[in-house]
Amino acid sequence: MPLFAFGATNSSLTALEPLFTFLTTSLTIAEGAFNKIPGSAVVLRYVKSSHQNDPGRTILELILVIFAIRTLLQSRTREDRNGNNFIQFTPKEVDELVDEWTPDSLAQPLTPSEQADLAAVPILAGPTGPKPKLINGKQVTNLASLNFTGLAGNEHIKQQAVETLRRYGLGSCGPPGFYGTVDVHMALERDIADFLGTEEAILYSQGFSTISSVIPAYSKRGDIIVADRGVNFAIQKGIQISRSTVRWYDHNDLKSLEQVLEGIEKERKKRKQPLTRRFIITEGIFERDGAMVDLPKLVEIKMKYKYRLILDESYSFGTVGRTGRGLTEVYNVLASKVDMIIGSTAIGLCSSGGFCAGSHIVIEHQRINGPSFVFSASMPPLLAVSASEGIKLLLSKSDMLEKLRVNIYEARQILDKFDLVTIPSHPDSPIIHIYLRAPNDCPTSSSFLHPFSSSSNTKPSNPTSALPRDASTWTWDIEEEEHLLQEIVEEAQSQGVMITKAKQLRGQENVEPRPSIRLAMTSALPPADTRAAVNTVKAAVTKILKRRK
Amino acid sequence: MTTAASYLSALSQADARARSRADSPTSTPALSLSSSVTSSSEDTTLNEVDRENSDGLSLPPRPPTSEQVFTTVHTEFGHCANEEYRSTSRHPPGTAVPRTVEQEPPYYVLFFTYISYLILLTFGHTRDFVGKHFNKSRYNHLMPNDGYAPLNSDFDSFYTRRFKFRIDQCFSQPVTGVAGRTIVLLDRYSPDFNHTQLLTGGRTRGLNISSYNYLGFAQARGGCADAVEESINRYGISTCGARLEGGTTDLHILGEALVAKFVGKEDAVISSMGFATNSTFIPALVGKGCLVISDELNHASIRFGVRLSGAQVRMFKHNDMKALENLLREVISQGQPKTHRPWKKILVIVEGLYSMEGTMADLPALVELRKKYKFYLFIDEAHSIGALGPHGRGVVDYFGIDPSSVDVLMGTFTKSFGAAGGYIAGSKTLIDHLRVHGHSGAHAESMTPPVLTQVIASMASIMGIALPSKLSGSELETRHPGPVSPKLLPQWINLPPALASGQEGNDRLRRLAFNSRYLHNGLRKLGFITYGHSASPIVPLLLFNPGKMCIFHRMMRDRQTPIVVVVVAYPATSLVTSRVRFCISAAHTKEDVDCVLRACDELGDLLDLKHGISQSERWTIEEITKRAVELSHM
Ligand SMILES: Cc1ncc(COP(=O)(O)O)c(C=O)c1O
Repeated sequence: MPLFAFGATNSSLTALEPLFTFLTTSLTIAEGAFNKIPGSAVVLRYVKSSHQNDPGRTILELILVIFAIRTLLQSRTREDRNGNNFIQFTPKEVDELVDEWTPDSLAQPLTPSEQADLAAVPILAGPTGPKPKLINGKQVTNLASLNFTGLAGNEHIKQQAVETLRRYGLGSCGPPGFYGTVDVHMALERDIADFLGTEEAILYSQGFSTISSVIPAYSKRGDIIVADRGVNFAIQKGIQISRSTVRWYDHNDLKSLEQVLEGIEKERKKRKQPLTRRFIITEGIFERDGAMVDLPKLVEIKMKYKYRLILDESYSFGTVGRTGRGLTEVYNVLASKVDMIIGSTAIGLCSSGGFCAGSHIVIEHQRINGPSFVFSASMPPLLAVSASEGIKLLLSKSDMLEKLRVNIYEARQILDKFDLVTIPSHPDSPIIHIYLRAPNDCPTSSSFLHPFSSSSNTKPSNPTSALPRDASTWTWDIEEEEHLLQEIVEEAQSQGVMITKAKQLRGQENVEPRPSIRLAMTSALPPADTRAAVNTVKAAVTKILKRRK
Repeated sequence: MTTAASYLSALSQADARARSRADSPTSTPALSLSSSVTSSSEDTTLNEVDRENSDGLSLPPRPPTSEQVFTTVHTEFGHCANEEYRSTSRHPPGTAVPRTVEQEPPYYVLFFTYISYLILLTFGHTRDFVGKHFNKSRYNHLMPNDGYAPLNSDFDSFYTRRFKFRIDQCFSQPVTGVAGRTIVLLDRYSPDFNHTQLLTGGRTRGLNISSYNYLGFAQARGGCADAVEESINRYGISTCGARLEGGTTDLHILGEALVAKFVGKEDAVISSMGFATNSTFIPALVGKGCLVISDELNHASIRFGVRLSGAQVRMFKHNDMKALENLLREVISQGQPKTHRPWKKILVIVEGLYSMEGTMADLPALVELRKKYKFYLFIDEAHSIGALGPHGRGVVDYFGIDPSSVDVLMGTFTKSFGAAGGYIAGSKTLIDHLRVHGHSGAHAESMTPPVLTQVIASMASIMGIALPSKLSGSELETRHPGPVSPKLLPQWINLPPALASGQEGNDRLRRLAFNSRYLHNGLRKLGFITYGHSASPIVPLLLFNPGKMCIFHRMMRDRQTPIVVVVVAYPATSLVTSRVRFCISAAHTKEDVDCVLRACDELGDLLDLKHGISQSERWTIEEITKRAVELSHM
């Protein structure tokens, strides 16, 4: 029994190591000095007798000392290792080296094409909406802003926001732990959880920073993440910061996912590795190309292999499903089957911020461990109220989504028949990506109706590399395509339609995404306007591509 | 909106009422004044509390005379007309930067602090051990279960479950209303030892010395809130997109130009979240082959960003310029590990004002080192921007240093400006680079118009708006720190004269400077151990013993005039230096600070917290409140 206790505490101490070292060393100092204080002998006797009464504590302290010594030794060896590589310099030599060293400039000036792109970023004069005005005074049809539900500029929401402003002021002036938890935040968390049908939800103050905070809150070094090769930038960063072991599966290919999971399980059995936390991370509707994941199949797989599923619904929450609940509604999957649903109240509800919804245990954990939740001020109350009102409108006025679906359909009718481009997006996706068709491109949009069925005769991709197996066959020239697309964007804008390229951080992504134009549909436009606008885009593509030839 | 006559009559009514001390159900003059904007803004819950003054928070102790005009609500921004209670936040030129000496508590305090942790540790492990064997169902989520590894193992979460959990009532307290001079707590209790927290439905208004509301711009009424309302009507709530993907409006452009002018840099970029400002822009500044030298107490967002950047990191002892220099000499002479190739660039990241310590970066020394060692200097002014310096321009302004001596100035709007989000300011090349290569530009939602407007309005009222005739255009553009040209502001923003002239902004800066010094020196004279710089609005008061955190928090809240405080412990601080952290604001009146000092004095005796200066040097609380002005100049 005591031996067992020893073992249990022992491993726990590894986690709390810095704490104990500090504790012990300081304790020794304190005790030494303590002996000098008159009357200390009495206390000491008391402590000693208590040790006798409580052998558990004696064991504990013993371990403390052992660990202190171990850590001290360890840090010395670390220094030694450093020392092998350390060159001794005299102060004068150091001075010379300092004088000689010339650092690179802090930031390289932009390249001419980057500069041109930056200068061409549209600036709205006044509010966004289906027909905003640009700073040059021109009115345009907006297929760039993420106003899917058309809640931007909603008078009811504006009025609620003003009322909130008059009760709460603007900023919350504190992180959630320290008086930044305002009742409206709790109400929005409740609203989201009820809307999706999960136990709880937690609110982050920026959509983009949500998932890159959620992932490292659970997944640590040694844990396993299996992720889609096509995940968005925020997920890539979350995975990077978690320092977990990552395995990749082919984009939206659940067969490939199964193969990867199978492989991991085999390896674990072979090496008799302990059970660690394992996660599957993917998106509902992919930000990069608008493809949609087959959720029922995915849930089945994750249940079978006992992985936890982190699903980024940033682009599907508030846009698909009858009332906008996202993929769980589309496929009629219980939200509780997905361990963590991440969504964006900025995108789906035209407010700001993001959330993670899940079970009580999952959410509570984030309240202490999600970096951008703990260390950042909570979102301004009026934005939380706007999001809450957005959910209410979705529930009461679902014709917003009906109109959105009509517009998506109208746009796809035109684009799917257009032979100069390929559309990788799912037919229901509110974002439509447009690739310029390269001569040897063959996938037709129909193959996107269902997730890819990978041809079984090709050999499986390497799960440790983020690079897709067919990367070597990619023929497009990123720079040239970016350039062409930018011309198309500008041409469309001159014809009165504001669109945008999908902006990518070239050089920072795991895999360079293929350049695309990203159309964002909105329910705020009548179908005829949508049709006209998409036709304008089509004409712009035709015109620019013709000029190229 | 309101005529002078109606204001005067309201004022004289309030005057008479307060003099006779009769409780009448009308609200305070400022309330009836500013709530005239929209009738719907009449907030019943707030007014309900405002009506009675048993907690002494709703009405000023000294009623305003008819010459005094207050445009704010006393509960949001305290009425204080006494020009003596003002001070300037400025480093006395020609003097050395004070070295912070950390006072040590007596050994018995440390001893019992360790004993406390040992007891907690023993109890915790015993309970875990027993629980895991005899009460398995409650430990299921901490142990491998059904083929799933625990999300959170019992070892990893030991500290949270066994230490923090016991004092959970000190954290995440829900609130409502404005986080201004006072704040309304939603009362709660836990029937099951903190497993659940239930709201009772009751509310407690307390004096708020916890929010980062340094300049008191957290206001639901007044010129800034009016501007925000106007912006909602004009722009709506959101711009629906990332900055580079159609989410940019003219307000963003104006806001960025204004921030650049405010901090004295060529250009600035704004991000919708302070945390993300660091975590998404630092990776665009440094990368492989670069070195980041970071103060050991830097904020989590900085560490997040640095970790994503892929650069090497070295830390130096908090605020120790000697250690920094030694480290610089080492890393420059050694070059990159293994290859010994020279570093591409070295970025030193420090904070202007440290949020848990109240210490200030030693900027003069840093600037000297920068000249000698050619590193780039990044200052996170999250807490110092607006809160320090005679013009509110942060530590740079406090030390009277030219902003060009710092390469990257970062800051957040969550604090002094009562808004949200953050900025990075620097040279045009740098900022354009960040716009294109920072993660935020392409992927993160842009800042919303109401938040932007709060930033613009509060910032303009700190700077003051120049009268067009006074200065020629070019002079306006170059003078730093000077007023802002009206051309840099949206034309529809119409600030009231006191804000537009910069007079109120200046008043806020001076009130904050006074309050900070008064509270800091007052606590010291009472015999407490405090950390940090006396000009810092963040004042940590050391408690040491973890058990005292909870009781201090509770006793402050349960006073006649409830006081809302933040207590922090490990891991935000070192294990033994648990503390309570006050964040003083320009919204507080001198009487509010008296109130805090008095409460601390009483609790300090009760809880044995006075381990600072010796008995003979201490002052009594009466002496302190009487000699407040003198204290503020010490
Ligand atoms: C130094 C520092 N940087 C950044 C931040 C993050 O700012 P925000 O709360 O606006 O996200 C904070 C806030 O706590 C901070 O103290």
